Amino acid sequence: MVEYKPQYYPGSSKVAKNRRKYMDPSYKLKKLRTISDDDLVKLMGHRVPGEAYKSVHPPLEEMGEPACPIRELVEPTPGAKAGDRIRYIQFTDSVYFTPLTPYMRAWMGHTRYRGVDIGVLSGRVPLEARERDLEKVAKDLVETEIFDPARCGIRGATVHGHSLRLDENGMMFDALRRFVFDNKTGEVVYVKDQIGVPLDKPISVGKPIKEEELREMTSEYRVDGIPFREDKEMVEFVQRLHMLRTEAGFDPSKVKGI
Amino acid sequence: MATEKKMFLEALRKKFKESPEEKYTKFYVYDGWKQSKRKREFVEWGTKLAKERGIPFYNPDMHLGGIPLGQRVLMPYKLSQTDIYCEGDDLHFINNAAMQQMWHDIRRTVIVGLDAAHMVLQKRLGKEVTPETVNHYLEVLNHALPGAAVIQEHMVETHPGLVSDSYVKVFTGDDELADEIDKRFLIDINKEFPADQAAQLKAAVGKRIYQVLRMPTIVAMTCDGGTMSRWSAMQISMSMVNAYKLMAGEAAIGEFAFAAKHAEVIEMGTLMPWRRARGPNEPGGVPLGYLADMCQASRVKPEDPIWVALEAISMGAVLYDQFWFGSYMSGGVGFTQYATCTYTDNILDDFCYYGADYVKKKFGGFGKAKPSWDLIKDIATEVSLYGLEQYERYPALMETHFGGSQRAAVVAAGAGVAVSLATGNCTAGINGWYLSQLLHKEEMGRLGFYGYDQQDQCGSANSFSYRSDEGLPFNLRGVNYPNYALNVGHQSAHTGIVQAAHSGRGDAWTTNPLIKIAFADKDLKFDFTHPRLCFGKGALREFMPAGERSLIIPSR
Repeated sequence: MVEYKPQYYPGSSKVAKNRRKYMDPSYKLKKLRTISDDDLVKLMGHRVPGEAYKSVHPPLEEMGEPACPIRELVEPTPGAKAGDRIRYIQFTDSVYFTPLTPYMRAWMGHTRYRGVDIGVLSGRVPLEARERDLEKVAKDLVETEIFDPARCGIRGATVHGHSLRLDENGMMFDALRRFVFDNKTGEVVYVKDQIGVPLDKPISVGKPIKEEELREMTSEYRVDGIPFREDKEMVEFVQRLHMLRTEAGFDPSKVKGI
Repeated sequence: MATEKKMFLEALRKKFKESPEEKYTKFYVYDGWKQSKRKREFVEWGTKLAKERGIPFYNPDMHLGGIPLGQRVLMPYKLSQTDIYCEGDDLHFINNAAMQQMWHDIRRTVIVGLDAAHMVLQKRLGKEVTPETVNHYLEVLNHALPGAAVIQEHMVETHPGLVSDSYVKVFTGDDELADEIDKRFLIDINKEFPADQAAQLKAAVGKRIYQVLRMPTIVAMTCDGGTMSRWSAMQISMSMVNAYKLMAGEAAIGEFAFAAKHAEVIEMGTLMPWRRARGPNEPGGVPLGYLADMCQASRVKPEDPIWVALEAISMGAVLYDQFWFGSYMSGGVGFTQYATCTYTDNILDDFCYYGADYVKKKFGGFGKAKPSWDLIKDIATEVSLYGLEQYERYPALMETHFGGSQRAAVVAAGAGVAVSLATGNCTAGINGWYLSQLLHKEEMGRLGFYGYDQQDQCGSANSFSYRSDEGLPFNLRGVNYPNYALNVGHQSAHTGIVQAAHSGRGDAWTTNPLIKIAFADKDLKFDFTHPRLCFGKGALREFMPAGERSLIIPSR
């Protein structure tokens, strides 16, 4: 049998290449900043740093699981083994050249991480996982090139901002003002956790990425960046997909060219 | 020309008082809810009424634990292609009497054919039926339908001052018969429609004669849609007994009752399955094509089929998104914010006129091209990319439609309407809608919310399917079609996709000529020829509805 080689995503433009890059787990995401484990725990707000993980069931090895070929095939994640609760981190990504669009967050999450459940909306993307697994994934999501401190927001509720204009500091709108721009340091600082509870002390997530760099890194087509209509391979791919789905729905025997 | 003017720019400038092209702005400086006249009014009333009732009431400081609405501009809305600006609150149906009346006028309408009843009267009961007897019967029914007695000698009745909006009229495709009908009871097809549309409608109706019955708005407000055909049936039978001197109780009356009351009844909406359980004449059962036919824009401005489609779209937004999904199905108040996108600020108008210009240039006019893959791909792709590019060129536009589902609806509506106009085929139009959704998702890397996207990601496959439970001719779909049962934010535009196909090729109606004629009635409270203007009047508190109860309540 021929070895399966994932293709990840079509398209000939820089945006399409970025999409493929972020989705390809063999590509190591560049680390741009360091957030301590404790600060990340505080930003998510599910437990106090140092507090033991709460569990919803005993560790799997104590449970005496039934004989099941799928269970033998799939190695449980550490959080599942331990019986952790499922908790979340949620992001809002501005339409202005952010590294990841919402669907990219889902596609990338599913190709890179195990045991995650990701939903996609236009203005927010929740990622759920067992708590200790979530904390590992969240490190990647906040510390690497796929996060811009000014145009990506960590927001559990009252998420809106993705489609709004930017403020005078280039920051995405946040009705709860969880994050603020520190004029002295030039860094973005969280003063509330993702659900809006004030933090004991501010947590810096670093300096915003410059616009010209974002334009290189983005996975979003835009008419003032890389226009979608210029990526003909991409446009034709979608048109063909639609045509095949339509014909298959009408009469599968008529579908040709797959 | 629309494509150069950008129809939405004027509204964007008024909404934000900044250049629509500007990407940066200020937030958190607008004094929260106090920037809004309407919110200030709400606070005043809430404070006063909380004291009166002794229970806490409206208090915007409860919002987000003390962070009020209005951290950004609480933007006003322009009713598209009118001069009316209002606040978003004024477009919630609770705050807008015109929206309520649109729905009440639909719900309280039943069409009942008279021919079956006349046949039984003549052949089974030996009665003579002439234009004179029909006129007499209609006079009796106009007394009885609002809630008056015609047979009984000791009976409670309704106060005429509460039910004056209830009446019956008739229409026929037979000019000679129409001439014999008392003009007070006649919906005159020749008078209400342009000549070419009247000819189409009369040919469809033929010599048959139909009653259009309007139950009182107050009944529509207090009972359900299923009440309407029962109310009309009872008053029809009592009036027939009176007008034709029938015996109350002989066996033949059973046949007559079925013929007069039930055999030729046309409800405005069909029954729904148990999981969405509602009777007939409820919003969820109104097919897209019926709603398009209720809209009367096509008879007042047939030369502008785009405007006609946009007017129908506004009715779809209010009926399907604001009433049905936003209230019946979900509860809460949030859907208005969402549904306004298709009828405010000239945004969808701009996209539709762009698509229409593209169609005219490329295909020589409307309804002239046969549906084909090449055509659907060409038009739907061009109009979708145009729409997406406008959001990207004008940050104020993106901020106006701040939810992805709004953008998805408006962009795909532009694409679907354009394909419909080009082909005169709304099934091709809806296929163009689905291509637009897929293009949008890949272009922006985002679309709507989970529940919004789901139907669009599988919609290509059911757009040409006519198989039971998987498809249906598009005119007959609606929120009662399985894949659209949770399809919020789509049905307004879908109404327009149906309408555009037919108005583009000059059809007098889309789906049911009887419904088109039934709503060509100047005595309806809501103005079905100009729904957006009428909603605007409701927003400005200039619309007078029916169903007032001032006669039976203490004066203030």
